[in-house]
Amino acid sequence: MGSDVILVIVVGTALAFDFTNGFHDTANVVATSISTGAARPRVAIAMAALLNFAGAFISISVAATVANDVVNADVITPTIVFAGLIGAIAWNLVTWYFGLPSSSSHALIGGVVGSAVAAVGFDAVLADGLVGKVLIPALVAPVLAFTVAGISIGLIYRIVGGERPGTVTRGFKYGQVVSGGLLALAHGTNDAQKTMGVITLALIANGSLSAGADPPFWVIASAATAIALGTYSGGWRIIKTTGTRIIKMDAAQGFSSQGAGSAVILASTHFGFPLSTTHVINGGIMGAGAAKRLSAVRWGVAGNIVTAWVLTLPAAAGIGALAYGLTRIFGTGALGPVVVTVASLALIAALFARRAERGAPVTAAGG
Amino acid sequence: MSATIVESRALLETVIASVVAGVGVTLVFSIAIWGVARFVDLSRGERPVAATAAAAVAAVALAATAAVLVVGILVMTGK
Repeated sequence: MGSDVILVIVVGTALAFDFTNGFHDTANVVATSISTGAARPRVAIAMAALLNFAGAFISISVAATVANDVVNADVITPTIVFAGLIGAIAWNLVTWYFGLPSSSSHALIGGVVGSAVAAVGFDAVLADGLVGKVLIPALVAPVLAFTVAGISIGLIYRIVGGERPGTVTRGFKYGQVVSGGLLALAHGTNDAQKTMGVITLALIANGSLSAGADPPFWVIASAATAIALGTYSGGWRIIKTTGTRIIKMDAAQGFSSQGAGSAVILASTHFGFPLSTTHVINGGIMGAGAAKRLSAVRWGVAGNIVTAWVLTLPAAAGIGALAYGLTRIFGTGALGPVVVTVASLALIAALFARRAERGAPVTAAGG
Repeated sequence: MSATIVESRALLETVIASVVAGVGVTLVFSIAIWGVARFVDLSRGERPVAATAAAAVAAVALAATAAVLVVGILVMTGK
């Protein structure tokens, strides 16, 4: 009975995390389409929400990686997964409060690894999977998106550079409808699967699924719904800030950055690499900007991405370990997770109230 | 060790797939845009044969773009 209560709390927490992931990442997915005038905000956001939902259904490779290749499912308990989620959410809230860039994906994996180490020791971590499937792809993917976008925009300018700008711009705006849709699909595919993986891991830990099992349909459907609702809800906030936080670029640059981001995320998803989609999308945008002129790139953003990459995993792991310790103070039953959940909700409410008094943060966490 | 080799191969394939798909789609779509832009210009210049050829290039390139996208998504859903 106690473990079922913990499982329900874990599933609820994971879906809440998925919702906030979609909420935060709406800006990344729709920014270039809105910025270049390829799509109206309402249309872009509705399309992004729909395609995030659809994307969650087209692959389970990343979910399998999160569930089976990062930590040893045989020694994991639902409480460890719960503490990992608390670590990820707490780190996202801290970075959101102070306006620091972050990665929800890295926070999630860092949180689970940290709580697993606190509970079982380093034997709980599958080092091969963590390094080969998470850390190295996390480094390679943004650089790859930067390179692909840079080559792409160079090709575009070479091929259509001598043509009438009006026709070319119109053409790439139509192209952006497709590339923006593809990016939303890719985002849903990679990011929703991380939540599916964590819920699947909790189900395996609870004995509800056998080790190595695929996520059940209800897990896929609920993760898809949560990220789509988050995307749609986050979008309305973005409409209000359009023009102030969105990077200005031409339609060809928007097309090449979205195409590069989609290609990298979809290819990575196919091989089961859980990425920070935010870093990949930003890498593509910077690549498209750098190919035109180096000064167009917001190098400060690039520096922040590197800082976030370095900080997020260990920080979320530390908070995950701390959350596990707090939970265990109340024993091994459901009391610990219930108390920590109530305390976390109170803390979130206090942070939101304080933030509302002081004004909105400049940047937010991303996937 | 074997797991690392498998991941290295998968990562290399990811890099190749990303470059081929990302740059490939951009290349064929740019050719389509070039074809449309040429068609508009040549039509205004009353050169119907050249305009038709440009339109044909645009149509083939657009079809190729759609084909690459469909194949890409099919490959994605195949695993």
